[in-house]
Amino acid sequence: MRKEKKITSIVVLVLFFSLLLSGSVLAQEEERYGGTLNAALQMSVAHLDSDNSTDSMITAMMNHVYEGLFEFDKNLKVHPYLAKSYQVSEGGLVYEVKLREDVMMHNGQIMNADDVIASFRRWLEINNGGKLVAPHFDQVEKIDQYNIRFTFKDPYAPFLNILASPVSNQKFVVRAEEVVKEFGTDIIERHVGTGPYKYEEWVPDQKLVLTRFEDYTPSSRESSFFAGERIPYLDKIVFNFIPDAQVRVSGVRTGQFQFAEEVPREQYQIFKRNENIKNEIIYPDRMSMLIFNSSEAPFDNKYARRAIAYALDFEELGYAMIGDPQFWRLESALHEEGNPWHVPDAGEGIYGVYDPEKAKQLLERAGYNGQPLIILSGQDNQMERQGAIAIQDQLRKIGIEVKLQLFDRPTVVEKRSKPDGWHMHLSPFIKVVPDPQIHQGWTGTNKWITNWDSKDSRQMDQIFAEMLREVDYEQRYKIVERMQAELWDSVPYFNILDYSRLHIRRAELKNFQAGWQPFFWNTYLE
Amino acid sequence: MLFLKKYNKYKHPYITISITILIILVFLSLFAPVITDYSPVRNHPRDRLQPPSRKHLLGTDQFGRDIFTRILYGIRASMQVGLAVVILTMITGGIVGITAGFYPRIDKVVMRFLDAMMAFPGIIIAISLAAIWGAGKFNIILALSFAYFPRMARIVRSSVISIKDLDYVESARAAGARDSRIILKHILKNSASPIMVQATFNFALAILDEAALSFLGVGIMPPTPSLGAMVTDARSYMVVAPWMILAPGIMIILAVLSLNLLGDGLRDLLDPHLKNTIKN
Repeated sequence: MRKEKKITSIVVLVLFFSLLLSGSVLAQEEERYGGTLNAALQMSVAHLDSDNSTDSMITAMMNHVYEGLFEFDKNLKVHPYLAKSYQVSEGGLVYEVKLREDVMMHNGQIMNADDVIASFRRWLEINNGGKLVAPHFDQVEKIDQYNIRFTFKDPYAPFLNILASPVSNQKFVVRAEEVVKEFGTDIIERHVGTGPYKYEEWVPDQKLVLTRFEDYTPSSRESSFFAGERIPYLDKIVFNFIPDAQVRVSGVRTGQFQFAEEVPREQYQIFKRNENIKNEIIYPDRMSMLIFNSSEAPFDNKYARRAIAYALDFEELGYAMIGDPQFWRLESALHEEGNPWHVPDAGEGIYGVYDPEKAKQLLERAGYNGQPLIILSGQDNQMERQGAIAIQDQLRKIGIEVKLQLFDRPTVVEKRSKPDGWHMHLSPFIKVVPDPQIHQGWTGTNKWITNWDSKDSRQMDQIFAEMLREVDYEQRYKIVERMQAELWDSVPYFNILDYSRLHIRRAELKNFQAGWQPFFWNTYLE
Repeated sequence: MLFLKKYNKYKHPYITISITILIILVFLSLFAPVITDYSPVRNHPRDRLQPPSRKHLLGTDQFGRDIFTRILYGIRASMQVGLAVVILTMITGGIVGITAGFYPRIDKVVMRFLDAMMAFPGIIIAISLAAIWGAGKFNIILALSFAYFPRMARIVRSSVISIKDLDYVESARAAGARDSRIILKHILKNSASPIMVQATFNFALAILDEAALSFLGVGIMPPTPSLGAMVTDARSYMVVAPWMILAPGIMIILAVLSLNLLGDGLRDLLDPHLKNTIKN
């Protein structure tokens, strides 16, 4: 009898404490809610309709308001988001998507197949991502209120990746049917989405204000960047448009902003010494690509192009182009480590091999006559300007005469589109691409700035055509490996290194994840 | 030499200071390769952003290049541009000014054109020309000369007009001298002082504007050192490496200030109306 009493009292005690503990956890969770976040972004936007603009800023901000059927996680692996599950059948011709049935929209209605289909048709018509899909696409059908069937004319493997694309003007987001009907293909000015925040106010060139959507229903999946659970702790998010970097920095110093986008990398050590400021290095972020003009001698010969890869000391370039090694890393593959399409041994034997003697031999083999080579590059971007100067210096060291042509961006774009007048061009590429198919550099023989038209380029066309049709991941990965091997064999362009931008935040902003586009769900203010 | 005689008499402090600075600058730019062992363009990225030390007197920049060396070569470029612009403006401005001043018919047409040109600030003309012709030292020299010559022409013209009706010109003409002789022998010689003063100012202005053009990216192309371009590059490192911006900035100030002081001093010295204002 006494023993039983003892056990009972222990059980009661344990129960009592566990209750207390869970209560305090709940309270802690409760404490996270509230507050206004002021973020300083570097550029203003013209409007807020991501289907109608290539401005990545729009996508970044409106990711809080609109969500996709599919979203990417930290490693750029695609996960269902507003979709509950999906099924691919008939060799990649049919995609059946089941929607989540509990998704509330900002107009108080539950999201259903009609909203998705209306948004999808608009996306297909005007969005760049949609336009990529459209030629292969057949039709979209409503099976029932929460089931949709997408049918293709021919297999189109990158479909899901494009739907979730992190690149501006590609991602598919779900808008309310009424809004799509109201605006058609015009720029949408009334915003009804499914996201954790809803549109409140936009003052052009000044700020965008978003407030928490109280009836938001988060996804039940594990949270990782854009995929999984999103919890809106903050009451309000204010995106301020502050073009001057130093103003963004001082705003964070004084506490006016809790977050500032793209600040000078050189000040990293200074921020580090300030306990109120935390550095956020973005990775994956950018690549620095050296692009050859393959239509003009000497680079119409692949041995000459390969020679340049041997002639450059990439590590030294890293210091000259970017500086602090925390902000750059050598990477031969187009997709970073951790990404499903990462090819670890890409460029083996050529990437990062500094061998000026071999470079000279290859140049001789290519019949290089000692003519001065022209590097065309931008002068406003630090990577482009300093990279071009450093490449010139390195090539001069081994006796290759190089001329620099540094211009503002529009002039560079105009000059590089011409088949002559330049030999090399240094350009920043976005590392974060949805799919190897949509890799920024390749759009087909002679279609992009490399002016590449040869047996090799047509072989590359072939590889990309195969990649387009292959739905199976394993098989497709093998094609990607071939593509990388081919790229390093004929070298129409190559990645010198990956580099990162720097964001800063106040220390009181917690749980911030440094994504390729800044986002503020799951973050909270202390 | 009238100038030396006057200088000995008044010992104008502006002139003393400015000439001293100028001599140092010219010396530095002429003997740059002897003064320093470093190359102004060769990169050493691992030694980037080093603060001033015995090895690098003024530190290094973002490519690990010695800033002291780059400044020496930078002044050299500035001096070259300045000198070339002065010579070009003196020749073109002189010819246009004299013809306009001496022949009233031509004057009416030419001067209206120059008035129109002078309505634009020189730097705007220079920027647009440099943008059209492309960057590079030679193009900047042409662009700046084109921008500055109207002012020079105007100054020459006014002194020609005031001199050409003086008695000694009249007597020369009465004695049967040809126009060319009158211009060379009498007019040019007697309008030398305002031309010299303006030339000094142009020199200073050319250095400043070359820096401005290079700062904006339409000037001297990297990696050739230019003081203006060094300031541009230094801007993004200002907080972490202040020596990068201070050194070229101070150099620009020194060069421009000394030339302006020299110009002021010369004007005081050579202007007969201002003679009495000079204090010992």
